[in-house]
Order: sequence, then structure tokens, then C-alpha cells
Amino acid sequence: MFSYNRLLFLIDHLIWGILVLVFVFFIFQSEYFLTERNISNILTAAAVLGVLVAGQTFVLISGNFDLSTESTLGLAALVGIWLIVPAGPTTFGGGIYMNPYLSIICSLSMGALIGYIIGCLITYGNMHNFIVTLAALLVIRGLMMAFTEGAPVSGFNNPSADVFYWLGHEKAFKVPGLGKISVAVLATGLVYIVCHLILKHHKFGRELYAIGGNRDAAEALGINVNRRIRQVYMLSGLLAALGGWMLAGRVVSIQSNLGETFIFTVFAGAVIGGVSLQGGRGTMLGALGGVLLLSTIDRGLNLMQVSVFWIKVIQGSVILVAMLIDAQRVRLKELSIIATSEKK
Amino acid sequence: MAILNLKNISKNFGAIVALDGVSLDLKEGEVLGLMGDNGAGKSTLIKIIAGNFKQSDGEMFFEDQNIEFNKPMDARNKGIEVVYQDLALCDNLTAASNIFLTREPKKKIGPFELIDYKKMFEKAKQLFAELKSETLPNETVRMMSGGQRQAVALARTKLSKAKVVLLDEPTAAISVRQVAEVLELIRQLKKQGISVVIISHRMPDVFAVSDRIAVLRRGKLVANKLAKNSSPEEVTALITGAIETA
Repeated sequence: MFSYNRLLFLIDHLIWGILVLVFVFFIFQSEYFLTERNISNILTAAAVLGVLVAGQTFVLISGNFDLSTESTLGLAALVGIWLIVPAGPTTFGGGIYMNPYLSIICSLSMGALIGYIIGCLITYGNMHNFIVTLAALLVIRGLMMAFTEGAPVSGFNNPSADVFYWLGHEKAFKVPGLGKISVAVLATGLVYIVCHLILKHHKFGRELYAIGGNRDAAEALGINVNRRIRQVYMLSGLLAALGGWMLAGRVVSIQSNLGETFIFTVFAGAVIGGVSLQGGRGTMLGALGGVLLLSTIDRGLNLMQVSVFWIKVIQGSVILVAMLIDAQRVRLKELSIIATSEKK
Repeated sequence: MAILNLKNISKNFGAIVALDGVSLDLKEGEVLGLMGDNGAGKSTLIKIIAGNFKQSDGEMFFEDQNIEFNKPMDARNKGIEVVYQDLALCDNLTAASNIFLTREPKKKIGPFELIDYKKMFEKAKQLFAELKSETLPNETVRMMSGGQRQAVALARTKLSKAKVVLLDEPTAAISVRQVAEVLELIRQLKKQGISVVIISHRMPDVFAVSDRIAVLRRGKLVANKLAKNSSPEEVTALITGAIETA
């Protein structure tokens, strides 16, 4: 007899099926798609997006938004490089010549601090998270521009920037079939394992689902909701800064618009992966599937040499189709739960 | 035996006297209906028992021990549980997760404490079996019937070994069907030997489940008698002040 539990499992992991379908489609479209070089490119592109989506997933599950992460990512990258390179033209640094490891610690703590401040504004200031993070998005971006006066801060050919280069660009080892795996991909993989454990198997994650599902109930049961919200934003800021570290190593020269408009892709990745914007629903694994799907489509369209004018149209449509499928997925799931409970 | 004794409890908010020397006992396994008009002090009294407020004057004894609560968690730890109108369930979580929320069993892996799902589901299954409910621990609450949701709330009070359950206006803003379910929940609690205090101004609900009725008027206790010796008419008169005391 057909098992409903198996059906539920399939519905929950639909994103992976879609990923396989898309993958096969591109294999037939381009002979270069299934090359080690391309697979490695897809994974590397997914790495930075992945850490941001992981942070956003925590925030979304707790029933909040964080629009500010793209700016935090940019500022963290900028400050990290600025602290180690010389001042003056061509590099435009601070001339502080800080130890690069220390500068990374500074940049990561700054990300966490930004998140904490946002969390405080929301919880102590009693303001809506959407507005606070929107304001933060603008303020942090503005700070980046004011700080550099538009000049790119460059760590190019600077041995101090090697730590950034290591995380952003270095190849860790070669896997047959997948090509060279970069340190960034490994790091993102590790981030996902840790985040999955926190979300699924730790008290902290359970409480986030409870807050996202029924905030009043969570509060009544003794969960310190406001404290959890501050921690979630801190986590999101920290992961954004980690993404900044990766990106700084990839682009080396930091423009003041680094990461701009990235937030749309971050939300798309999370939502395609089945993380609900209403809070309380979604998993880290699903989010990872969303990230991989987006970067696969991105690379695939590139290889198919689709005109840049149409790429955005296709990306937008993909998000819509994914949402449509997800909505049906939720409906199907509820229907099958009703079917199971009626059988009893 | 009385599980909870209130002796001369008074509470004032600035110049406003919300409670004026209320003395009340709650016996083991008893359902007490606390009645009164808006502003009579019912909710204030419940909130003092639940640890939300501290009394301005008077003493509370729980199982013959003098107690003082600084926060709701203190009361919960003693076994005084508040059941909310919506039963405080998270629709997006499974039955087991709801029961164990904030009290999940844990296992240690190195320096990390992870949730022991196996133990959690087994214990939840056991609690449902004791309640003779067919609710499955891994079922999501969103799709549950009213009866099953109640079983989850009941299992939660059973898990915490609650001795006293407080319900503040449990039937005020819900459908007729849900009212019947809440009343059934109260009977179930009583069957488990748990004492219940229910606040409501819906007369039929209170008379349907209460053993004893206490009436507050302007912060003073004006009646405290067995439900079978009273009547809705008498209680209405007591609430409005048509009868002084009874």
C-alpha cells in the first residue's frame, strides 16, 4: 500500500528533484555544462550566496526580515581590506597595516555588532523589523560610500590580503567529477552543517520555530523572545560579514557598491528553498537546495549565452514558478495530512 | 486538603485598590469558578497566583509552604500552570515539540547539548497513551482537531506535573464548539487530580464545571460557596451587588 509518509517526504524534498531536472536540462543545452570547471564555478558562486541565505533563514524562521545583509557584507569586506593596506592612491586603505588575522576578527565582530544593534532597535525601540533593516541597508551603504569617497579599496598583489584570498579563491583539493573544491565551498558546507544542527537539533532552533509560529505562545512558555530576536540578527550580521570575507578574497578590489542588490537573490534563494516569509517554516537543507538551484540556473544561462537582457526576465520567472510549486507543495502536504488522519 | 491558601491578599496600583483582603482556599482536585464584573479583581488575583504580580499585602501558601513569586517561571516551577485561550500551541510544530517546548530532553555530544528526539517522541507517545488519545507525536498541530489540540495542552500540564491550572477567560472569544472543548479539558484536568481555577463571566460555563464558586466585587470576596448550593440568579445578584454577601 502507498505510504503517505513517503509522499510527505517527497513533497518536503521537492527542491532537490527540481534541481536535478534543471541540471539535466542544461546538460542537454550546453556541452560545457557538465565539465569539472563549470561544476566548480557553480559551487563557488553558491558559496557567498549560501552563507547569506543561511543567516536569512534563521531570521525568516523567527518571523522577521533582514534586508540589511548585503550592505553589511559590503562594509565588512571593505573594512577588512582597508585595515591592512596602505593609504593613498591605487590602494586607498587606512595605512594602519593591521595584522590580517586581526582585521578579519575586526570585520566579523563588526558584522555581529551591526546585527546586534539592529536587533536592539527592533526589540528595545519597538520598531518593525522591515523598516529598521531597510534603514540599516541604506545607512550602511551610505557609510561605505562616504568612507571611501567612491575610491576602490584594493588589496591587489598585497601579501597581507592572502588570508582573504585564501578563503575567497584558494582551491582546497580536487574531487573527481566535481573539479577543484575551493576553500569557500568547504567553509559554506561547514556553515550549513553547523546551522542545520543549531536549527534542527538545538534548543535555540526549536525556540525560533516557536517564535515564528506563535509569538505569544512562545512568550507565555517562558521563551525570552526579544533576546532570541537580537541573537538571530547578530547571527545574520556575522554570517553576512563571513560572506564579505569570501567576496573580498574573490574580487580583491572593493568598490563601494560591493554586494548591492544582492539581497533579492538572497531572499529568492531562501524562499525557493521552502523557507516561509511568514515565519516558522523552512529548513537549512531546503535553503541550501534553493541556493544551488539559483546558481545552477545562473551558470547554465551564462553557458547557453542567453542575452543579458533576458537573464533577469528568466530569473524572475524562475522565482515565480518556484513559488507556485511551493504553494502547491504546502497545499498538497496539508491535503495528505488530512488524508492520513481520516484513515485512522 | 487545601493545596493553595490565600490569606488577606491585597493589591493596589497606586491609589487604586484592586484587591482588598481576599482569603481563599483551593482544595486538591477541585474546580473553582472565580466570578465578578469587569474590574472586580479576578484577573489581578489570578496574576498574583501565576507570579505576574506581587501582592501588596497578605500571604500565599502552596502545600502549606509560604511562597513568594517574582516571575511566572517561579510559579511554573512549583506546579502552577496557566492555560491560555488558544492553549498556547505553535501550529507549525509537531505535537511532541509543543509538549516539550522549553523543556526538551537533551543528550550530550561532547560539549554540545542536542535535543534527544527519540526520547522526546517516546515520552510524548506515552503521555498520549495515558490520556487515551490517539494523537500522534509527530503530527503537526495545524491539522489537528480541537480534541487533539486539547490532548496536547493536557499532555503539557501532565509533563510539568502541574498541580494547579489557571484559566483566565478561557471561553470569552471562541466558538460554541470550542467552548465545549475547553469545558471538557477542565473535566479532564479534574479527573487527573489537578486543581483548576477558572475565571469567566459566562455563567453557564462556570456552573457546568465548577465545584465551588467565589465571587469578587470591587476587590472584596463577597461569596464562597459550593456550586450546588448556589444558582446563576444568586451569583448574578452577588456580582451586581443586589445581594451583599452569601
